[in-house]
Amino acid sequence: MNGPVIHDATTLPVDDNVNPYAFSVELKGSKWFLQKGKMIAYYGRIDFHGIGHGPLDRLIAGSFHSPLHAADWVVAEGQGKMLLADRSFDVNSYDLEDGNLTVRSGNLLAFEPSLSLKQSIVPGFLTLIGTGKFVAASNGPVVFVEPPIRVDPQALVGWADCPSPCHHYDHQYLRGVMGGVRRLTGLGGASGEEHQFEFVGAGTVLLQSTEQLMAEAPTGEGPPDEAGVPGGGGGHGNQPMPRLPGQLGDLQRRFGL
Amino acid sequence: MAQFRLHGSKVLAVDMAGDAVKAKNGSMVAYEGEMTFKKLTGGGDGLRGMMTRRLTGEQMEVMEVKGHGTCYFADRASEINLVSLHGETLYVEASNLLCTEASLRTGTTFTGLRGASQGNGLFTTTVEGTGQAAILSDGTAIVLRVTPQLPLQVDPGAYIAHTGRLRQHFQSGVNFRTFLGEGSGEAFQIRFEGEGLVYVQPSERNTIGGEV
Repeated sequence: MNGPVIHDATTLPVDDNVNPYAFSVELKGSKWFLQKGKMIAYYGRIDFHGIGHGPLDRLIAGSFHSPLHAADWVVAEGQGKMLLADRSFDVNSYDLEDGNLTVRSGNLLAFEPSLSLKQSIVPGFLTLIGTGKFVAASNGPVVFVEPPIRVDPQALVGWADCPSPCHHYDHQYLRGVMGGVRRLTGLGGASGEEHQFEFVGAGTVLLQSTEQLMAEAPTGEGPPDEAGVPGGGGGHGNQPMPRLPGQLGDLQRRFGL
Repeated sequence: MAQFRLHGSKVLAVDMAGDAVKAKNGSMVAYEGEMTFKKLTGGGDGLRGMMTRRLTGEQMEVMEVKGHGTCYFADRASEINLVSLHGETLYVEASNLLCTEASLRTGTTFTGLRGASQGNGLFTTTVEGTGQAAILSDGTAIVLRVTPQLPLQVDPGAYIAHTGRLRQHFQSGVNFRTFLGEGSGEAFQIRFEGEGLVYVQPSERNTIGGEV
């Protein structure tokens, strides 16, 4: 009987998947940014710094759009190999070459500091710009599709190089008195597919193969409270609650209320 | 002798010819042939084992399965990993142990701070002897070798089991930033030194340490 594959520091892959659920990163004095709590094991000498203060400030200024945002990330620094995983979801690495990619905040696990991370104007999403490697998780393997396409909101992981999505509603279904009744009460049968995200233009859209969402990770402080900023609440006059670092699942930001 | 094999990655099939295995209570999903299932009160290590388990919080609901044929075991679609033991000791959390051959002895041992950080208590289950055991993991487990030259650090939430002669240290990176809400989320690790294998799962249980 064949036993399981036994890995050690020399046989672990370099910046590649160990199995569909775990990713191995090699550090040679270099740095990686991780989301908090995604490291499962490491060989060698690696330090994990919560960031926001101290000597790493300059690095952070180049990679994060605001210092507050950085509180949800960790810098791994040192020599060795570390394994990243997230609640036994599928993980994959992607290479960006002078490109941009927008991803749901909960799905991004780690990235190289050569990429810069910004908050997307779409609430709950993050945008990576530049050249480098990043690791993202998905619930089931990722499917790549090209626009024009309409996708289910829960299945969307992210998109690269194409303009932001817009909402698409099945108006034939929602129109009229019966449509209104259906929409408000669900009577008469709603299929659950009356609303999609629509993508047009050139680029790639990333989908996961389930409609189960991953837990939302904080994307940093809310957008500035200005008129004309999506999710900023400008003009509504309601002040967002002050947030503690590390707080999970901000529904307000998700829905842009 | 009972033969353990994997039927897919989430079902364990055990071929038996009149011998017995110990399995997590209620984990049988199907069987062929003639089988009897007997609940072993208090973990099946006799009265002393039962008392120890009660006192240490490492209670196991165990049944003895005996018969001729093939018995299939599974638990909440968790991934199953087979471990062959040749006289060494497997340390595993009671909740991660699915099935062992009857020839293997189970017991409890003190683990120290590691258990406390996971909220699993200060004790863990040991499996000793020669034979096969099946352990559960959330996602395919990764087996990592530890040698004297290459110690390994593991997040307490991802650790499931280990074998061999390993020393465990509890290492913490708590500093003043942790208390300012700028913690790294990786403040606690278990450091394994010595010679052996460590099983980790690609998922972290919710731990006290994980939030720091």
